[in-house]
Amino acid sequence: MQQSSPEENNIRGPQFCINDHIDIVVEVLKRLDGPSLGVAACVCRLWCSVARNDSLWEHLCFRHVSSPPPSSVRPVVVALGGYKRLYMVCVRPVLSRLSDSDLVRRVWTRDEVQLSLSLFCVDYYERRLGGGEASASSSLMFLCNPVNV
Amino acid sequence: MEPYNSGGGVSSSSSASSSSSSSATSITQPQEMDGYLAEAGYNVRSSDLRHVAQRLERLENVMVNSHDDLAQFASDAVIYNPSDMASWVDSLLSASDFNAPDLDFADAIMTDPTAAFPADTWSDIPPPISTAAPPPMQNHQQITSFTAMEEDSGIRLVQLLVTCAESVQRGDLALAGSIIETMQALLTRVNTGCGIGKVAGYFIDALSRRVFTPQSVTSDGGSAHENELLYHYFYEACPYLKFAHFTANQAILEAFHGHDCVHVIDFNLMHGLQWPALIQALALRPGGPPLLRLTGIGPPSPDGRDSLREIGLRLAELARSVNVRFAFRGVAASRLEDVKPWMLQVSPKEAVAVNSIMQLHRLLGSDSTRIEMMLGWIRNLNPKIVTVVEQEADHNKPGFLERFTEALYYYSNMFDSLEACGAMQPDKTLAEMYIQREICNVVCCEGVARVERHEPLAKWRTRLEQAGFRPLHLGSNAYKQASMLLTLFSAEGYRVEEKEGCLTIGWHSRPLIAASAWQVMPLPEPTATATNPLGIVNHSANHV
Repeated sequence: MQQSSPEENNIRGPQFCINDHIDIVVEVLKRLDGPSLGVAACVCRLWCSVARNDSLWEHLCFRHVSSPPPSSVRPVVVALGGYKRLYMVCVRPVLSRLSDSDLVRRVWTRDEVQLSLSLFCVDYYERRLGGGEASASSSLMFLCNPVNV
Repeated sequence: MEPYNSGGGVSSSSSASSSSSSSATSITQPQEMDGYLAEAGYNVRSSDLRHVAQRLERLENVMVNSHDDLAQFASDAVIYNPSDMASWVDSLLSASDFNAPDLDFADAIMTDPTAAFPADTWSDIPPPISTAAPPPMQNHQQITSFTAMEEDSGIRLVQLLVTCAESVQRGDLALAGSIIETMQALLTRVNTGCGIGKVAGYFIDALSRRVFTPQSVTSDGGSAHENELLYHYFYEACPYLKFAHFTANQAILEAFHGHDCVHVIDFNLMHGLQWPALIQALALRPGGPPLLRLTGIGPPSPDGRDSLREIGLRLAELARSVNVRFAFRGVAASRLEDVKPWMLQVSPKEAVAVNSIMQLHRLLGSDSTRIEMMLGWIRNLNPKIVTVVEQEADHNKPGFLERFTEALYYYSNMFDSLEACGAMQPDKTLAEMYIQREICNVVCCEGVARVERHEPLAKWRTRLEQAGFRPLHLGSNAYKQASMLLTLFSAEGYRVEEKEGCLTIGWHSRPLIAASAWQVMPLPEPTATATNPLGIVNHSANHV
């Protein structure tokens, strides 16, 4: 942060521009939830490119997991489409379905992580199967249906 | 506008008839609105006055005779346009369980829905008007209250179905044919979009095929390609196949613990949808993935494509992306019993898993030789685990009537569950076609052509135990995973149950699919027994 002399303070305010400090931007965005991260990506081009960084989404996916996932998970997720896709396609709907109605931050269990990863893998595979036979990732469409109360 | 004046009172029949008599003399154009009622704020065509008057009389009788039900039936009716007197009278009548004939008020003009409603006339009832914008309601069947008539029709259909099946069993095809025609007529009066109407429709169709066109029914309902496609839609639309795959995978994963060379034999590859999840789970297992071999059995492709190999390539591609050493082999066979053990090239060093998703029942027939042979050579492969998923139903009874009623109950539950899943069209219809093929096979086919010979878990237990297997309990991980999977499906009503180490998934209280796992029971010494006539024991190194 620039230290401005007292005389300069009378003329103009502190000259801190967050876009000059991408590491801070990353730290801030790391703490956002999914929708906010999406909104942040719309702020400007710089923020958009930062928000596209998959490690942010990795952080988001596993933020609430009770124990951190093993290091072998990352290459698998990256190979299957990346953390952002994992979040959008599996984590977000799974969490919203499995969590209680009150919006308490809950800890994700290992089983739920495993299930999400399996569903993600099926999604990847179906997209590769692709073609005109079945719509892409349609096996996960059931996650998008509104819950029948 | 005043709700009524002396000329346009609506509740008593005398004033209604007076207005109809006055209209009779003053009528010039039949489609014209009655002038007196129009002054009162009601739009009724002059030609319809007599009908309306009769309906009002009837409604009055209902009101008078059913004191305690007034509030209830009044609130059941949904009324969109109170100034259209004819239609709201009919809605009230049909809500009170009276037969509402299809009245010809198709051209009733929709006017201002906020016209005054004669609250004083029905003083006991709060005005049951919906103030939403009136839809273009052309007929009264849009009011979907489940009338007594429809419920009776449903029960009648079931009775007729059973009677028809009974006459088929007796061989009285002429009677069966006439019952089918009666049922088809009855179907037109029932809602075939859901519930008993839909299921009945499929069963009536199957019966009519059996009775009228038996020569057109073949054991395979269509080409292999079509079957794969319908299977895929069935996979999408409801959780049964997902449950089967995930549960079997969990058991296989646990059985492969500690092994570096593993071999999975899939009795029905289809699109290989089961295997991506296993490949991913193996990739992430602590200690690293093993070398995975997959042998996929499937029908030969007629048009020169090697569909098995294509699926194998896709799976290999996936395995490569996640760094799992993978090898695939396809075995094309039109019948499962044509597969011989040597085709599978099992190596003694590897841990073998045999996976059968709804395939073993195809080997049941009039005698047990085929299934016993198959179970025998499976046993001789010395697998670590055999995962068996089968329909939890008894569709292999010799008597047609018993089989038919059993199937009716089973598939009603299955259709209900499919309905509740809320799958989108066309997925849902195609998934139903998949089920319909099973129904047709159970109902129409006999002998070798009937392959859908489902048997319940209890019978499979006995068979497998006699063939030298003992049950392997599916652990709590499998149960938790299945429960989680069901929670993700947006339908309340699915149940996962654990019974003696096996898992079943069902709709409400009826289990529909059962998953179980088996391991080989070691035989002490080679002897010829009734179930093992050749006395074969695998001499290769036993994996403990």
